[in-house]
Parts: sequence; C-alpha cells; structure tokens
Amino acid sequence: MALNGRDAISLTTDKLSADAVSESVTCASCGAISLFIGTTRDHFEGMKVVRLEYEAYVPMAELELSRICSDIRTKWPSVRHINIQHRLGVVPVTEASVIIGISSPHRSDSLEAVKFCIDTLKATVPIWKKEIYESGEPRWKENKECLWADGGLIPKVN
Amino acid sequence: MNTEVSVLYFAKSAELTGLKSEIITVSSNVTSAQLWQHLEEKHPRLTVIRDQVVLAVRQEYVPLSEQPLTLREGDEVAVIPPLSGG
Repeated sequence: MALNGRDAISLTTDKLSADAVSESVTCASCGAISLFIGTTRDHFEGMKVVRLEYEAYVPMAELELSRICSDIRTKWPSVRHINIQHRLGVVPVTEASVIIGISSPHRSDSLEAVKFCIDTLKATVPIWKKEIYESGEPRWKENKECLWADGGLIPKVN
Repeated sequence: MNTEVSVLYFAKSAELTGLKSEIITVSSNVTSAQLWQHLEEKHPRLTVIRDQVVLAVRQEYVPLSEQPLTLREGDEVAVIPPLSGG
C-alpha cells in the first residue's frame, strides 16, 4: 500500500455524497481524484422505474470490496486513497446507488482503477437490486458481468 | 457425519422460500449440488432459479458441482442469485 493509503468501504442506507467521498480521498501529494457515481435510471425496456431497492450479504460484500481494494493496490501501486460507498435499502430515481473515489499522483492510475473497481464490483460483490416499476411486477436485476447470470459463463453441472 | 449449518437466503431466493435464513442438518461431505437438491426438496419454488444460482460457503463462492464441501458445525451457507450491485 502507498504510504498511509486508506481503504474506506461503507454500505449504508444514508444518501451518498460525492463531495464527502471526494474530500475523503484528497491528499496533498495527489494530482488526481477520479470519481464514479452510479445513479438510478427512470426507465427499463420502456417501463417507468419509480425506485430501486438494494439488499446485501453484508459481511461478504465488505470482504469482496476489501479484496477489490487490495487488487487495485497490486495493479496500480501509486494509488493513494480508495473510498467505496454503496447504498442499501430504497434509492429513489436519480439518486446515487454507488460512489467510488480514488486518488493517485497522476491521472491515468486513478481513472483506470475506478473503472476496474466498478467493473469488478458488478461481477463479484453480493449486492442485489430490485427495480420497482410504475406498473407491472418488480424485477430483480442481473448484472451481465456476473458469471452465473442467465447466459453467464459458468458451465452448469447437473 | 451429520453437521448443522445455517442457510441464508437473499433476493429472489428469499422471496421464493419466504425465509431470510434457516438451520439445516446435512452430511459434512455433502456436495454443493446435493446441498442445493436438499434445499429444493424443502422449498420446491427454488427450482426456478436452479440454473442461475451459486452458493457461498464460509463467504467463498461455490458453483453447484460434485465437489464435496467439507462443512463444519455452525458454517454459514448463503444462496446467491445473480448479482446486481453497482
């Protein structure tokens, strides 16, 4: 880990703040902070989404997120601070469901690390999202990055 | 040898069983496929997700297969439908 580099992980029902995440990864020797904000869209396949509900296997989600931080530090050793926040419970449309902030001395490491972080989160962290529509049955979504989603890569053993 | 483990249900699997968790007793060298079979027998509605599910045993993902699990008393097994975080 870069000298005094911090990993901050939180799963919370509170509204997320991009300013707070950005401030938490700021450091004097870093010339770059990259942020990813995942927000909820108001439609899916022509249906109007009124809200999302998130659920997590919390201890394992925290473990997988800390593994992601560790992988990031192996691939991009110059990364300084990492903050990953995921909201649980009800998330109204347009609000953030996930915010990732990463700081590094130069921009390409933090930009690449943020992309890796969200891509890996979607494939490995045990969190689930249910879309509630204006009309029609709610639906549990499936990330295409997840190996065992419909059409995923894991071979089925009968 | 029989072992008592807890099973956690999430997302669609919790809706299908009506449960967040339960305690079950299985052989300690049960395979993941056999453990799933046991859960399907108790909760037939789980059949609909059979092809899109993995387990997590002691917080490590395990696909359904013929590999024995080596369960220990008090282990936590979770039913993991396709992920949708982020």
